[in-house]
Amino acid sequence: MPLASGFNLADEFAIRVIDLTKAYGKTGALLYALRGVALEVRRGERVALLGKSGSGKSTLLNLLGGLDRPTAGRLEVAGHALERLTGRDLARFRSASVGMIFQSFYLISSRTALQNVELPLIFAGRSPRERRSEARRALEAVGLSARLHHRPAELSGGENQRVAIARALANRPEILLADEPTGNLDSATAHDVVTLIREHVDKNRTTLILVTHDEELAAACTDRVLRLRDGQLVS
Amino acid sequence: MRARDLFGLALAALWQQKSRTVMTTLGVVFGSFVLAASLSIGQGVQDTIERESHRSDYLRRITVHPQWRSADSDPSSDVSPIPGKMSAAKRERIRRAVREHTSRKQVAVTQEKMSQMAALEHVEAVVPVFWQSGYAIVDQQSQLTAVAGARPQDSDCRRRLVAGRVFDTASEPAALVSEFLLYRWGLIDDASVQGVLGKKVRVELRAPWHERGFQVHLVRSEGDEATLEETVALERIKQQLPATLDRFDLTADQVQLLRQAILDQDLSVSSVVSEAFTIVGVVRLATAEEQKLPWDPLRTSADLILPFQTASDLFFRLSGNSERGVDQAVVVVDDERNTKEVYQRISDLGMRANTLLEYIEQQRLIYLLIFGGMTCVAAVALLVAALGIANTMLMSVLERTREIGIMKAVGAGNAQLQLVFVIEGAIIGSLGGGLGVLLAWATSFPGDAWVRSMVARSVPVELKESLFVFPVWLVVVSLLFAVVVTTLAALYPARRAAKIDPVAALRHE
Repeated sequence: MPLASGFNLADEFAIRVIDLTKAYGKTGALLYALRGVALEVRRGERVALLGKSGSGKSTLLNLLGGLDRPTAGRLEVAGHALERLTGRDLARFRSASVGMIFQSFYLISSRTALQNVELPLIFAGRSPRERRSEARRALEAVGLSARLHHRPAELSGGENQRVAIARALANRPEILLADEPTGNLDSATAHDVVTLIREHVDKNRTTLILVTHDEELAAACTDRVLRLRDGQLVS
Repeated sequence: MRARDLFGLALAALWQQKSRTVMTTLGVVFGSFVLAASLSIGQGVQDTIERESHRSDYLRRITVHPQWRSADSDPSSDVSPIPGKMSAAKRERIRRAVREHTSRKQVAVTQEKMSQMAALEHVEAVVPVFWQSGYAIVDQQSQLTAVAGARPQDSDCRRRLVAGRVFDTASEPAALVSEFLLYRWGLIDDASVQGVLGKKVRVELRAPWHERGFQVHLVRSEGDEATLEETVALERIKQQLPATLDRFDLTADQVQLLRQAILDQDLSVSSVVSEAFTIVGVVRLATAEEQKLPWDPLRTSADLILPFQTASDLFFRLSGNSERGVDQAVVVVDDERNTKEVYQRISDLGMRANTLLEYIEQQRLIYLLIFGGMTCVAAVALLVAALGIANTMLMSVLERTREIGIMKAVGAGNAQLQLVFVIEGAIIGSLGGGLGVLLAWATSFPGDAWVRSMVARSVPVELKESLFVFPVWLVVVSLLFAVVVTTLAALYPARRAAKIDPVAALRHE
């Protein structure tokens, strides 16, 4: 989807958010998760989103990842005006432009590591041979070449998150959205996972939005820290 | 997304829930089995009826009988006034009874009627069927026997022929005789069977004993009929009786009474016709198996058989037979599609007619209704199975909510997810439908054997082919029905799956 006319987004911005609002509930009893958020993120920039539970971090991440639609405002990610995309185009956007990592990994338990990583490539219409090779490459890149045919239940928490990272990176996305990726991991494993993400982001100049409530982690692996409070950006 | 991958995802989901898939598929298997079996036997029975009816020319035949017509149907006829004091209603009842009793007429199957029927369009032949007793005389040996007519193409005569040939034409002056008649003539040895071919048999028909008027008969206690010589002697007594009534020990009134009774009977004329025919063939008697076959008016079990036209000419030369007509006539139509039309025209001639086509059409209708009902029950069974599928898939959507959310998060579109579920339904349908048809085919063998044993016990008909048929259309229809029904059943769950909000789905435990 080309950029909306009159939206002069400079090429160096991977994300541009203008007056973004997300509300739940019925008219008259609306509950605002985000209110008038404005944000610009340059290509290859690493940004941390900090805030307490319920501050709107995950909501903002879901909107940036095309999993949800805004109530109002403009939302441009990787050159796509998300608020105007059809359901089909939004699915294509999720498949091609962004990779998402979640705290709970969100792997399909019946599929092996390789099959889980192949999943976004299947929906992107890649050939079996091509996707098999891409998935192997992604898993090798996260150090799981020996665990290709293991199911999530047969892997440790850190390994599962590595599989999730491999899946998020399999389509070589322009933007990586990570929602508390170390939240379910012990500190040593968390360190490994963060290192892995940083290495990939640095190597491929991928834009990173990292949602966390860990100040130390935010400072260590991002260029800029943004704070959310009650659905509004405060710094 | 590639079609192959859609199938792959659907198959993987089914494989993941093996027990549920097996149970759901079993429901479709049994639904399809009942549907295919019901269609199969329905079509098989129809085909069997069709085949058995076309094996002979039964459907081209119309049997014509004499028709009794009461005065009610003829308003011009009336009766004398009913005397006596009675109510008007009773008088009307008596009047009607008298009219019916006195003016009941028979529309006989006479030569004239047969000529009218033969002149009808699409009529190929009119074969008179009668049972006439007469004397068959060879080499001074006479035997009382039944004489009948047959068509040259009559399969019954051909099947029973043991020597010589059957008739060449319907009016040939030829005769077939049974080996039992030869035996009674004293031609006992096998050699005499060939020897009789080419010989002349004189056939002498006499008016039946129940002919109106004064008769003289010899009835033996053993049931044996009178010989030709005895019959000739009795005939002479009959002719002399009116003139010799005075010589009996009777009163004058009794003599007068008998004279009055035979007043308008010309006793001097003997009702006898006689003609000689060449014996062209010898037939055996019908076997017990042949006698069990459905009754056919054209089957000739008489001991002396003439070509039907020859027999007809001889029959109608006998005094009284022209008015009485034959017992029945079989009208053979050129094509069974014209049977109804000819049947209607014969009825219009005032004759009572029956056709097997009418009966078979009724049977067809009954079978259609029965098997139509069975098919509906089968379809309902499949629909119930489909409801089970819809329910199971709804459960599956609920169980796989998080998985659906994950798929959406990594790029699955609504249409793609919807297709995966629809394909799951179609796979269950084609697998269940295919196995159901296969099961129906497999059970058709013991089923056919069982039906055959039942038929053999109750009806003397040998079925040549299976009562279950599986034409291509049946397999395709059964399979398609199963696939369509299960796919439709999967549509709603599939839509539900596609509509799932990915954010909510990812939070789903």
